[in-house]
Amino acid sequence: MWAMRHAYAFIAPFYLLFLVFGAFPLVWSLYLTFQEWDGLRPMKHVGLRNFAMLLRDQRFLDALGNTAIYWTVDVAFIICLALLMAVLLHTPRLSGRRFYRLVLFLPNVTATVAVGLVFIMLFDFNSGLVNALLGSLGLPRLGWLNSTGLSKVPVMVLAIWRATPWYMLILLSGLQAINPELYQAATVDGAGPVQKLFRITIPSLATVLFFCFLTETIDSFRLFTEPYITTGGGPGSSSLSIVQYLYESGFTVFKLGYASAIGYVLTVILMVISAAQVIFLRRGGGAMGSAP
Amino acid sequence: MTGRSARFVILAALIGALSVTSVGAQTKGFKAPPGKMVIWAFGQPKFLQLQIDDYFQRNPSEVQGVTAEVVATKGEEEVRQKTMLAYASQTWDDMADVISTFPVSMQAMAEAGVLMDVTSYLAPFKDKFVAGAYDQAFYKGRLWALPRSLRPQLLFYNKQILDKYGIDPKQMTTFEGYLEVGRRLKAAGNGQVFLSYEDPGSRTWRYWGRRGLMPQAGARIWDDDGNVVIDKDPGALKALHYFETLHKEGLLFNSVILQPPLYQATREGRIATFYIGAFYDEFLKANDKDMAGAWRVMAPPVFSGVNLGGAPVVDIVGITAKPNAPYAELYKRIWYDYNFNSPARQAYTLEVLRQNGPVQNPLSKAMLEEAFWKEPDPYYGGQSFKQMEGLGLRNVSKNMRVTTADAEADTIISAELEKFIANAQTMDQAIANMGAVLREKIGTAPANPDR
Repeated sequence: MWAMRHAYAFIAPFYLLFLVFGAFPLVWSLYLTFQEWDGLRPMKHVGLRNFAMLLRDQRFLDALGNTAIYWTVDVAFIICLALLMAVLLHTPRLSGRRFYRLVLFLPNVTATVAVGLVFIMLFDFNSGLVNALLGSLGLPRLGWLNSTGLSKVPVMVLAIWRATPWYMLILLSGLQAINPELYQAATVDGAGPVQKLFRITIPSLATVLFFCFLTETIDSFRLFTEPYITTGGGPGSSSLSIVQYLYESGFTVFKLGYASAIGYVLTVILMVISAAQVIFLRRGGGAMGSAP
Repeated sequence: MTGRSARFVILAALIGALSVTSVGAQTKGFKAPPGKMVIWAFGQPKFLQLQIDDYFQRNPSEVQGVTAEVVATKGEEEVRQKTMLAYASQTWDDMADVISTFPVSMQAMAEAGVLMDVTSYLAPFKDKFVAGAYDQAFYKGRLWALPRSLRPQLLFYNKQILDKYGIDPKQMTTFEGYLEVGRRLKAAGNGQVFLSYEDPGSRTWRYWGRRGLMPQAGARIWDDDGNVVIDKDPGALKALHYFETLHKEGLLFNSVILQPPLYQATREGRIATFYIGAFYDEFLKANDKDMAGAWRVMAPPVFSGVNLGGAPVVDIVGITAKPNAPYAELYKRIWYDYNFNSPARQAYTLEVLRQNGPVQNPLSKAMLEEAFWKEPDPYYGGQSFKQMEGLGLRNVSKNMRVTTADAEADTIISAELEKFIANAQTMDQAIANMGAVLREKIGTAPANPDR
């Protein structure tokens, strides 16, 4: 080890920073899960009470359910739309590809807060464009932002609109890495566009798709800004996300122990889902790393 | 610097020279230590910066080598977060010298020893101020913050709408009459004219509930022992069921407050009144400038048998208990000047009004008697808004008792009210849920230490 001291010295800054800003907060927040603390007054040890309270907390359970819906819908729409857009952009005969790529990527570089305010206007019950369109089709206006049944829709639309371009770009780079000879050979064999998509494109993109699936899963469970800006998580808790509830518990009502417990539950959920996805993918034909 | 701003600076300097006698109660020869005085504030902090800059210009010998920075934050929560982080890490250098706060956080910070006890400093001024000026800064027998303003709860009404339908605003002096006005407007306006508005989010509880109907009905969330009583307290039931009637009869326009759709509906003449607050003055003037002359202000309706207006909103600032507290004395002098230096206060107010800022009537009873605070306002058709701010502080209800558990209680109560507004549950269910969830999650709040 002494002989490698120079190498250790070079990598030491990362580990020191990780210890201070990564490992320590992780251990500290685990400790906090067993405490009742508002950040100002002395801590009080409460054992597992924070976790027990989570199981009885309807607002937490609502947030968990909402987040599961956001995850399911967002992942499905984002990956399908991103793939469709990437395939279209990858079409050799498409002219003005750079322009389309730029335009389609714009939502991802806009500020979520600013767009969220625009979405409030778009989905407003009384004067929003969405209800105006429904009205022009002879359909009744809907309370997108002020009904418990529909409040998740603007949140999901905003999340999908913002995230799809990012995944489109990743999938597009994946498409560009596929050997074009595979398509030429398929054409010679008489394969049509749909067959090429399902027999060549998607299997070749398996690793990239898995990456997209995993990162979007994590992003969906971390959803915060979209519901915070558009609906505030309401009405009631109908559009509240789990990270929003964590923030509310920690920094609105200052129950830092309770917020830490929510954080740890979220971590465990993400670990389980990620592990399940890896196992599922490995069992489903060992597609990982099989891209040509 | 614009011409108007330059005139303001010159005027401020002249006032400084003229008003030396009016601050005679302050120690002469005071000099603050060189450095930077930091203030964490929310609301409209640029006007606090304007006030401090004005003081610095008028008192250069006191503040040689001193700068002041008012750091704008998103709200009370962010101020508390920043305070909490600095306090937990014991990095007092990172802590502001002065912070804007609300009673819930003030209590927690006072208990933790973050705030300076200002009881002895404030005590001599109590009789000079309007009633209730210290109420929200009082905790466990001591005063923990300096009151900067006390704004009343007023009812704003569109006179043009009421005239059009032949309605006398005097009818709105009671809640029974207010409801009747709503019904008449709905019938005469074919359902397109609303008595007021409701926010689908947390602001309905804040304005209609905590600051309005609840204190006006003498409602309680907790009893003095901290037990939850919101689901059986007669005042709470009266307030919440009154709101239920307004909502169920379709008298409230559902729209997010402080957003363009509500400004537009207001301009279109669909909102007849704004219940309840003084801040609608800035809201209307900034967003519906073209409605000058249409609006008037009056005291809010009252419940028969209780006969009290809404609970005033206090703007309080605490001085942090930093070691040596280098700028505590300076801030006290700024505060004193703001409250007792009449010429300076008037010049400052004119500049704030020019920038469409909040009026913030003085707390000082003597100042309120001056003609300046009764001047007519063209936006209200010649009615004096400043005078109404002062008059609105008569006959006020007491704010509901605030405890350290009230930040969480507000989120719980608001969530149930929001579900009612979204027609996802009845008011009876909402009230029952408020009680049940408060008991489940909070149990009992701290008992009243000042009973």
